[in-house]
Parts: sequence; C-alpha cells; structure tokens
Amino acid sequence: MKPDVDQVMQGFFGTLLMDVAPHLNAEYSMGNVGIMGMMMFMTAEEHDRAAEIRVAENAEMRALFGQAARDVDDTGLKARLGEAAASRDASLRIKALDQANAALGGLLVDLQTYVEVSKAPWAGPLEARIWDYLVAATERRKLPFPSLG
Amino acid sequence: MEDLAPRIVAYLAHKMPHASQIEVAGVSRIHGGASRETFRLNASWNEGGKSKSRPLILRRDPVASLIETERDIEYNAYRAFHPTGLPVPEPLYLETDLKWLDRPFFIMEQIEGCSAASPFNAEPYGPLAETLGRQFWTHLGRIAAADPKAIGFDANMGDIAPADCWKRELDKWEKVIDEDELAPQPVARAAIRWLRRNPPPPPPKISVVHGDYRTGNFLFNPEGHIRAILDWEMCHLGDPLEDVAWAADPLWAFQRPDRPGGMIGRAEAFAIWEKESGLKVDPERLRWWAVFNSLKGLAIWISAGKEYQTGANRDPVLAFSSWYCTDVHNRVLAKRLAELSREARQ
Repeated sequence: MKPDVDQVMQGFFGTLLMDVAPHLNAEYSMGNVGIMGMMMFMTAEEHDRAAEIRVAENAEMRALFGQAARDVDDTGLKARLGEAAASRDASLRIKALDQANAALGGLLVDLQTYVEVSKAPWAGPLEARIWDYLVAATERRKLPFPSLG
Repeated sequence: MEDLAPRIVAYLAHKMPHASQIEVAGVSRIHGGASRETFRLNASWNEGGKSKSRPLILRRDPVASLIETERDIEYNAYRAFHPTGLPVPEPLYLETDLKWLDRPFFIMEQIEGCSAASPFNAEPYGPLAETLGRQFWTHLGRIAAADPKAIGFDANMGDIAPADCWKRELDKWEKVIDEDELAPQPVARAAIRWLRRNPPPPPPKISVVHGDYRTGNFLFNPEGHIRAILDWEMCHLGDPLEDVAWAADPLWAFQRPDRPGGMIGRAEAFAIWEKESGLKVDPERLRWWAVFNSLKGLAIWISAGKEYQTGANRDPVLAFSSWYCTDVHNRVLAKRLAELSREARQ
C-alpha cells in the first residue's frame, strides 16, 4: 500500500492543522481537528510498530511465566503460569495479539500480587524482573508527541 | 447542531422577571473540561429602561463524560470561593429542571480577554511562566488555607476524618478502574496494592481539595494575571497535599519535571504554598499522594477510553486522553513503583 500509512497519517496531520483548522470558525471544532491531527501523528507510529510491540510483550511475559512456574508454590497459579508459558500467538492481527496480551496481562497481575508478599528467596529477583518488564514495556509503548513550536 | 439560543433566552426570562427584550447571541461550544459541555454566549437585555449585556458561560451535563460529577458540587465551589477574592467566575444560576435544556446546567460569568494553556506543552506559558507560577502556587495555598465551613464549601460534602482521606479517594478511583478497564492494568493494580500497603499519615487538618488544579485549568490575561481558576468538578474535602501532588504531577508539561506545570521550580513552588497555606509539605504524605495522583489520572483516562470505545461519548478528547495520558502515567508509575519495590526489598 503506497504511499506508506505513516506518510499518509503525517500528511493528514499537517493538512488538518495548516489547511483545515484555520478555516473553521467554531472554536470547539478547531480544537477537535487539532486533537484528531495529533492522534493521526501518533497513529503513524503506532501502525508501524503495533504488531512488533505486542509480539515482544507476549513473548517476554511467557518467558517470565516460564521462570515463575518453576518457583511459585501455589499449585493453581503454577499450572496457569505453565500453560501461559507454553502458549503461542496464533495470529499477527492486532486484535488477536491484544486478546492474548490481555490474557497474559491478567495473569501478570495475579503473579505480581502473589510475589509481592512472598518472603521466599526467589521472590525478590522475580519481583524485580516483573518491574524490569513493566518499565521496558511502558517505555516501548511511548507515543510520539508532535512538537508544535 | 441544536439551536440553544432561544431556549437560553426563555430560561433567562424566567430567571430575570424584570428584564425585557432578552437576546442571546454568539452561542459557541468551547473545550472547557471534558466532563461538561461548555458554551460561550453573550446575553443582552433591557432593565429599568437601560440596555445591559453580559458575556456568560453555560456548563451543561453531557450524556456521558470523562468524569461523572455532580454539577452542584462544582457550582457550590464557585459560590463558596467567589466572595473570598480567589479568582473564580461569579456563579449565576444552577438549574436541575430538565425542561429548559434537556439536562442540568449552570450559568456563570465569562472571563474575557484571557486564555488557558495546553497542559501538554513543554513551555505552556513562555515568558509569563514565573509570574504565573508564583500566583498559581499562592492561590493553591489559599485554597488549602480556606475554612470549608466558614465559606460554605462543605455543603452536602459529608464529614471526613483526616485519617480516612486517603482511603476514601483510593476506594473511589479503584472502583472506576474496576468498572471501566477494557484490558488488565498491571501498573495500575500494582499502584493500588502499594498505596494500600503504605497509607500516608493523616493531614493536620481537612482542607478544600480542588481535585484538578493544574496547568490548563486556569485563565490568565496577556499581562500575566491569573483571572479564573476553573474546573472544580472533582473538588472535595481532604488532604491538601492531594492538590499539591496533582499540580506537580509529571503529566503536566512533563518535559520539565523540575518545573511543575511548566512554571516555577519545585522548591520555590512548595515554599510559596507553605507560606500561603500555613501548612508543611510533608515528604511522606506527598510521596503517597504523588503515586495516588498518577493512579487517579490512569483511572480517569481508562474511564475516558471506555466512554469512547462504547460509543457513549465520541468527543475526540476522550480518545486522546485514553491514548496519550494513559501512556504517560503508565510510564511514570512503572518507574516510580519499580523504585519503591526495590526500596521495600532492601
């Protein structure tokens, strides 16, 4: 698909801000056009990276769960972690990746809740690894913000 | 687009029985907080043989909003603070009868010749940053120093004990996340658990909390004077450091965390607030409220995303908040909580 999606989104962002907004009389409409333009700018980046981010997050959470499954004592949680660690992304469509990401994210909440109050020797390093993952994941998802001068 | 002017004329005629030839012109929707529909308008009328006019703001309840709040709480805040000299618009009419504009609304004075800055600009105030910053923190100190009972702010607020402030606010915003999250929120959930495990000391007194005191929520004129503190939808009684932490949250002009809200430096800001409020910025309480406020932000943005996704409200600002602000607050909280986790394990 040419021109590339990011070029089209960035182009539309410029058109909305420079060509459309100045010709609007209603302040509310101008504001909305500005917001939509900024979101197009963000979409340009998100379109390109969305699958990669989700695939990476899902793989990292599965690896984390694989380690945790060996350590945690709770049998129910251990089984869920093992099952999640062995799962794979069946589709690269964003909605399918998001669905898997949500399921893994829910299990991460349960694991972190369990680990935080554990005094076992493995708990501290595992908690640190979870935070390393969350800090990296939130940084990876950082959205670009247009500089408007 | 619906024509509100004749309906507003009918309402003003009802509220001003001695006025005649009432006209309403220039009704224009503006962005004024995503929890109410905000309209600017000019009313003119004849009274006692004299022609009069007044620019007004009308705030109407939306079908769905970023924050579900009661309009009478916001209206009452304006009514309480306007006589004190704090720069707020004069509130004029509060109306809950749906026959006038289909939804409850209130009308207040329009402050002319002023603007509000974008909270997402690295330099929101340019050369006015320092003068506005000193006023910004002075006014927040005055809000904290105000006696809620004496100014009538506490009407319909209910009593709250100093030791319970944190729990009430945390319960409230956790419920929002419980009800509105569209996907699991590991960072928000970790924040909630940390906040419950580490409750703050109680404040020395209960104060008025604006609830959304920040860059973007005040009007200033070109000479650098703050003329109106707006958007009191989330005001309540509580720990005054809640407002201090929200005003200093890294989301607002976050490119400059050393200068909260893109105005003056953190140390000077807090010193001004302490002097004006007569209170101290207790680091332990401030730490708790800083984590809480980033969580509260997440709850608001998560809720906004649900409103947009379900089609309850298609205001683009809801989608923007849900994308961009969630992104920032998740990053801020993840880094902070990772540090706190390390400290707790040491």
